[in-house]
Amino acid sequence: MTKQKMFLRMITASLIRRRSRMLVALLAIAVGGTILSGLVTIYYDVPRQMGAQFRNYGANMIFVAADTETALTMDAAEEAASVIDSGDLLGMTPYRYETVRIHEQPIVVAGTDIESTKITSPYWHIDGSYPASSGEVILGSDVAELLGLGVGDSFNATYSTGDDSDSDEPNLGVDMKVSGILETGGSEENYLYMSMDDLNELAGEKDSLQVVELSISAMQEELRSYVEQISENSDAVAARLVKRVTQSESTVLTKLQALVFLVTAVVLVLTMICVATTMTAVVTERRREIGLRKALGASDKSIIGEFMGEGLLLGGIGGLVGSVLGFVFAQLVSVNVFSSSITFQPLLIPITMVVSVLVTGLACLLPVRSTMAIDPALVLKGE
Amino acid sequence: MFFRMIKGAFVRQWKKMLMIALTIALGASLATAMLNVMMDVGDKVNQELKTYGANITVVPKTASVVDDLYEVEDGTSASSGAYLREDELGNIKTIFWAFNIVDFAPFIDTTASLSDGNGVTVVGTWFNHHLDLPTGEALNTGVHSLRTWWDVTEGEWLDEQTFTSGTQGAMVGETLAKQENIHAGDTITLTTEHGSESFTVAGIFSSGDSADDQIYAPMDAVQTLSDTDGKLTSIEVSALTTPDNELAEKAAKDPGSLTISQYELWYCTAYVSSICYQIQEVITDSVASPVRQVADSEGAILEKTQLLMVLITILSLVGSALGITNLVTASVMERSNEIGLMKAIGAKNSSISALVLTEIILTGIVGAAIGYFAGFGFAQIIGQTVFGSSIEMKPFVIPIVAVLVIAVTLIGSVPAIRMLLRLRPAEVLHGR
Repeated sequence: MTKQKMFLRMITASLIRRRSRMLVALLAIAVGGTILSGLVTIYYDVPRQMGAQFRNYGANMIFVAADTETALTMDAAEEAASVIDSGDLLGMTPYRYETVRIHEQPIVVAGTDIESTKITSPYWHIDGSYPASSGEVILGSDVAELLGLGVGDSFNATYSTGDDSDSDEPNLGVDMKVSGILETGGSEENYLYMSMDDLNELAGEKDSLQVVELSISAMQEELRSYVEQISENSDAVAARLVKRVTQSESTVLTKLQALVFLVTAVVLVLTMICVATTMTAVVTERRREIGLRKALGASDKSIIGEFMGEGLLLGGIGGLVGSVLGFVFAQLVSVNVFSSSITFQPLLIPITMVVSVLVTGLACLLPVRSTMAIDPALVLKGE
Repeated sequence: MFFRMIKGAFVRQWKKMLMIALTIALGASLATAMLNVMMDVGDKVNQELKTYGANITVVPKTASVVDDLYEVEDGTSASSGAYLREDELGNIKTIFWAFNIVDFAPFIDTTASLSDGNGVTVVGTWFNHHLDLPTGEALNTGVHSLRTWWDVTEGEWLDEQTFTSGTQGAMVGETLAKQENIHAGDTITLTTEHGSESFTVAGIFSSGDSADDQIYAPMDAVQTLSDTDGKLTSIEVSALTTPDNELAEKAAKDPGSLTISQYELWYCTAYVSSICYQIQEVITDSVASPVRQVADSEGAILEKTQLLMVLITILSLVGSALGITNLVTASVMERSNEIGLMKAIGAKNSSISALVLTEIILTGIVGAAIGYFAGFGFAQIIGQTVFGSSIEMKPFVIPIVAVLVIAVTLIGSVPAIRMLLRLRPAEVLHGR
């Protein structure tokens, strides 16, 4: 039998014979590994996951006409938006404002893409429901109060350019129905929202928008670069960041990541120390065995080698178990907190194993070296 | 005799005891730090989210304003007939949830003409106003804290308390400043039908919204210009709130529909709807409503952050519990010789158990005490580094950590002791 084979045989036999003790040590290492891989996965995923939460604040970029001469058209807006990664561009909502008459009052109406507003303005609170068919509109709560309209009421809206002299037909307007009343606590409550098609029917087609709201999943730096690119490329479109949303998101997200990082660091340090103490206790327990081996003539090097071998094997297995459990933990957290899956970092498994092996190895090394210095006779006697 | 033996053990083997105590301290410090951070993180993140600005707006009940969002009206904007009273502003800090009101600022809007005849919207407000409250407190509040995302591109923020120029100060939005070629330090004159006033531009700001086309000036000056002394068009409030739940939503629709105990629970919890209700009680003829964009999103983010911290805390508690159990079991096993010897001399199982357990629990208590203070230190490091403020130590973490350490120590030692006692003394003494 070769030296290596004997070596392996001794290590595994030792581990198997002292099953219970080794299992306990393995548990401690696995716990350390779990915490390492679990928390590190969360640390890397927090910006992405929390970032998605911040999209609840709504649009973080707007397009407006570059100057008062050029009209902002949907095509120009879409072309300008093409520089943004399609995966990051969560929603794009156009707005066209016109003034119409309802119940003889002038009301500002916004023609928009209703489906899209669910993404760029997720905080809209609708009493009733979103428009399901054409002719249905959302009424801001202030407008609803002004006109005395409630959910389900019908009304007639007329649009006039003021120049009806060349038209023989009476301006009958369009009959519409209120599908929902909008509450936001902001300026949206002063407007009436309808689909772009409905507005085209009411006020005639006009390919000119006042503003386009965009919700983009990106950090502030990336957003700034998009703004620069768009301003360079497009003559018709000027892009602006909604500072209120982007600045705050950046501040809070950075703090959250720092929090997870620090917590991870503290937990890791303490757990590793725990692992070290456990390994120290395990090795100290075997002092008599070491003393016996020395008395039998084993060299210091081979004894250290064998203990290190055991320790490394334990570290490796514990690290592997730990990284898998850590991934399970991180997935649990991600699904429960953010209702989405974690992005698996395959690199984390080998890293966890390497760290476990290093820590275990180091923890084994120190007590073994100290026992080397002792006289075998004393150790065998039980001191 | 029992206590003599315990004392003897501690005196003779204090080094070993200390080792065990320190390792238990490690586990206990981790538990303490995590529990304290977890309980305080909600408040800290809530404070951070205040950078989004006001989450409550207060307007006069009979207002029906129709303003344009992105276009500046040259004529007078459609105005309401009603206003809020300026002298009631201090009442906001007298509601039940006064401590949760972080900042607030009053607003009065009007249109004026610049020297070149162009019309411009002027907003009167507080920038960093000192307010003495009827309760005896004093506070500094204003737009400076409510508009944290304003970038002052030229000059600086206007501070009413320290502004020393002869005329009043004002801040001008970037777009308007470019249009009219206004720079920081310039003097501009605003004219309305009620008079004229000169302002020194303290700073030019970039807000990324409609404010870029407007001028912000001190409250009193704008009130004089629009002949609305003592009147306000709106108040913005930034409050620390608890995320909404079913009760809050039901109450928001109609507080009258709650039972007495539900009403009390709702009123005494810092839901945004509850704070709005209380503000309406102290400001006459007002309607306070949550700014959904801010209030709803805040709630969602707070909940998620807290849940995340809870899960991480549970993981670290499990980790430290396992670590302590492990160590305690190991240290008991180490004393197998001693236990075997005691049995051989004729000690009863119960006495041996009592002796060993007492020693271990005492060590555990010492360890827990050291650990608590170390944990306090770790928590403060985290709090200062991340949030720049200290973590509030909640007193009921102490019993939780104490129970945890004792329970875990017992779980670690009892099975080990019982196992050792079941063995025959001869075997144990022999070293198996």
